Amino acid sequence: MSVSDAGEAPVFDSVSAGYGGHEVVHDVSLAVGQGQIACIVGPNGAGKSTLLRAITGDAQFLGGRVWLGGEEISRIPSNRLIKRGLAWVPQVDDVFTTLTVRENLELGGFLLPRKGVAARVDELLDTFPLLAGMTSRVAGRLSGGERKLLAIARALMPAPSALLLDEPTAGLSPEMTGLVLQNQIPRLSASGVAILLVEQRALEAIAVSSRVHVMVSGVIRASREAHEVTDWDELARVFLGEQ
Amino acid sequence: MSAATQYYIATIVVYICVNVIGAWGLDLQFGVTGVLNFAFILFQAAGAYTAAMLSLGPASASGGFQHYLVGFKLPFPLPLIGAMLVGGALSAVIGLITLRRLRSDYQAMVMLVISVVATVVAESVVGLANGSAGLSLIPNPAKSLTGLTLQTQNWLFVGLCVALMLIVGVLMYGLVYSPYGRVLRGVRENEAAVEAMGRSATRARLQVFIIGGALAALSGALLAQFIGAWAPSEWLYPETFVFFTAVIVGGRGSISGVAIGAALVAVGIQQAVQYMPIGSDPTLLAALEWIITGLLTLIFLWLRPQGLLPERRRRYLRRVKTGFAATKLQESAGT
Amino acid sequence: MAVFISAVGFGVVTAAILAISAVGFTLQFSVTNVFNLAFGSVMTLSGFVAYWLNHAGLNIWVAMAAAAVSGGLISLAINEAIYTPFIRHGLNLFGMVIVTISVAVIFDHGLQAAVGPTFFSYTAPAGKAFRFADFVLTRQELIIVGIAVLLTILVQVALQYTRVGKAMRGLAINASLARACGVPTRGVIALAWFVSGVLAGVGGVALFLDISTFTATTGSEFLIVIIAAAVLGGIGSPRGAVLGALVVGIVTEVGAAYWNAELKDVLAFGVLIAVLLVRPQGLFSRLATERAIAR
Ligand SMILES: Nc1ncnc2c1ncn2[C@@H]1O[C@H](COP(=O)(O)OP(=O)(O)OP(=O)(O)O)[C@@H](O)[C@H]1O
Ligand SMILES: [Mg+2]
Repeated sequence: MSVSDAGEAPVFDSVSAGYGGHEVVHDVSLAVGQGQIACIVGPNGAGKSTLLRAITGDAQFLGGRVWLGGEEISRIPSNRLIKRGLAWVPQVDDVFTTLTVRENLELGGFLLPRKGVAARVDELLDTFPLLAGMTSRVAGRLSGGERKLLAIARALMPAPSALLLDEPTAGLSPEMTGLVLQNQIPRLSASGVAILLVEQRALEAIAVSSRVHVMVSGVIRASREAHEVTDWDELARVFLGEQ
Repeated sequence: MSAATQYYIATIVVYICVNVIGAWGLDLQFGVTGVLNFAFILFQAAGAYTAAMLSLGPASASGGFQHYLVGFKLPFPLPLIGAMLVGGALSAVIGLITLRRLRSDYQAMVMLVISVVATVVAESVVGLANGSAGLSLIPNPAKSLTGLTLQTQNWLFVGLCVALMLIVGVLMYGLVYSPYGRVLRGVRENEAAVEAMGRSATRARLQVFIIGGALAALSGALLAQFIGAWAPSEWLYPETFVFFTAVIVGGRGSISGVAIGAALVAVGIQQAVQYMPIGSDPTLLAALEWIITGLLTLIFLWLRPQGLLPERRRRYLRRVKTGFAATKLQESAGT
Repeated sequence: MAVFISAVGFGVVTAAILAISAVGFTLQFSVTNVFNLAFGSVMTLSGFVAYWLNHAGLNIWVAMAAAAVSGGLISLAINEAIYTPFIRHGLNLFGMVIVTISVAVIFDHGLQAAVGPTFFSYTAPAGKAFRFADFVLTRQELIIVGIAVLLTILVQVALQYTRVGKAMRGLAINASLARACGVPTRGVIALAWFVSGVLAGVGGVALFLDISTFTATTGSEFLIVIIAAAVLGGIGSPRGAVLGALVVGIVTEVGAAYWNAELKDVLAFGVLIAVLLVRPQGLFSRLATERAIAR
């Protein structure tokens, strides 16, 4: 896929990233189509989060380019990303723990016109009814699952056109995981949002994705159309290094 | 050499020795182990007062001239040893309170607070150490030797200071370059790794806190014996900063570097200011000394944070800078 | 009883001054993690700005407003010109503490070299004395208390309800997430430094009015008490700082009345150390374990 027909979706072009000059992610290229879900799976420490954090400025960007909607975004200050429509749910530290649920959502909508914020908060509380009952709770006192939902809702506040989700189902119950993976994420992508999903629950993630990338030791070992990957054996072989 | 020149040189040598010993104490804490002791000057003061009280004799004997807690007339070297013991013991008490329970940023602040409180107490409780007037007529061990000229006595004391400095220096080398010293540097560089090796970082901090406190006390004791007087104005909390500057200028963790730093900062600046063509207004000179000390710290932290003679770094000392606080600091600079 | 009540009256005035300053100190710390020991110098410098304006014939309250603005600008300038470059240079937290002390030393003694070691005071009448039972407060003291109430409520309301206030709180707890939300972190940090400096300016003038004579180092000397109040309340929490200020202010003045005026600060520090031993995170810090931990 070339840069120009990627629409609002992110394209990674030989991205390298790491910490303190030490390269963790090497030369990763991948693209997410508009309205599509691409997922990255791989063992712990493979560098999946680092790849996402390279864009958001939390890991060091050591080479390559990232494009969004035909514009290079690899060098812009990370607080401008959301203006370009790119939202991010980090794996950890994903909410403002000292702020209430409502304040978290409001801060998520920091760039929205003031008048629209309250209405947008209500919309998201409708989408995530579990949060509606706890708007004045401090986020640091939520359960792991409640917190993750809040993190996702917060990222959706400005109605982004592209979304980086770093293990959105970590700590969620099976029902909640189903709700997020099989319901909300597909619905978002159906509405045109490009989603880059990092997941531990590989098979469930692949089931909703259109393309799957396997990352091992900082490199993409294999990229497949999701329907080609159907069982654990297939996946295990890729994990073990079959090209 | 005239008597005045001799006295001048002797004074400078004593001040250098005293400050080098003190700076090594702080270097062990701040330079080698990474403990930020903002109450450092308090331990110097504790040593000075102890040495004074262990050699002045009972307060009643002064005929009400000065008041203090207890007084003994012990022979050399007991006042110095007593001073070190008290310095170490005080460090143990304060260290147990602050290092064990408090977060490290609170530790630094609480030490600062303790330093100030101690000054206030020493100033207002006259019975402790004669209040803000301080103690005077503190005996100099060399001057108790009869049959010598004043100058010989002076040089004897200089010899004592130099000898003690050399002894402390040798001990510093032994300590810092031993396996134990490696643990201490580990506490500074990567506490988690030290704990993983089964060593307690808190215990190591407490130990250097005590050793450093004893060295501070020794430097204070020598200083008090040389000047013959000691008062709260000698150890206001900003004085601690002078030792920090000495360590930074010399080179954190570097023994020879810190010695040079102490000589330059604690004695050199003061001497240099005397020769500047700005008159002799003592307030102006003192202000200038502080300004130079502050600027020197900033300049070194910017241009040469490793100091004049950097610590010999080994591979395992690779800087690890992670953790939320450091990241956040970077954030706040917008990087 | 009368002694006690009048001591509490004094305590309220001290607490008011402490609250203004401690809120400024703690607000900036919570946002940037820089333990700014030059805060006292900003108080002093702004206090002197007010002094010069006051002696040029300006009313003290107008001079205080000017001091507030200059305090804000000085604080902002110190951050932009010295602190931020040092942080970018890669200095860690402890290194930054040393930088802030250096700045304090340079400012205090620079000012001392300029104005000399003399005592200064404003020309401002204390005004009529008001009695409330055994409480006696002068008009000046009442105004100071009023300003403190106003400013601390203003800061609290701004942090709680305004967009930028929420952004500031978010930034304090999770900077990278705040950036992901689009918060212009540099601007918000600059604002925190400015507000902190404004509060230092007001606090400085209030302090100098209250103690009536001051020197080039008065602000830095008082800083220790401010830190005690801020740490007592749980550093990083403006609400805690106000409560810490109340405790420290009242304990010191009551201690001064009943025990020993010279040792009143010792009492406050004793309370501080005792509290920290029981609750290392400070008295009123909610979710203290969630806060940034400097190491
Ligand atoms: N802040 C950091 N500083 C230094 N190294 C880091 C940092 N964060 C992660 N690493 C290292 O980078 C490598 C990749 O980490 P990353 O978090 O990207 O893995 P991941 O694929 O997301 O793993 P997981 O599935 O466990 O979340 C790991 O070896 C990790 O130790
Ligand atoms: Mg990860």
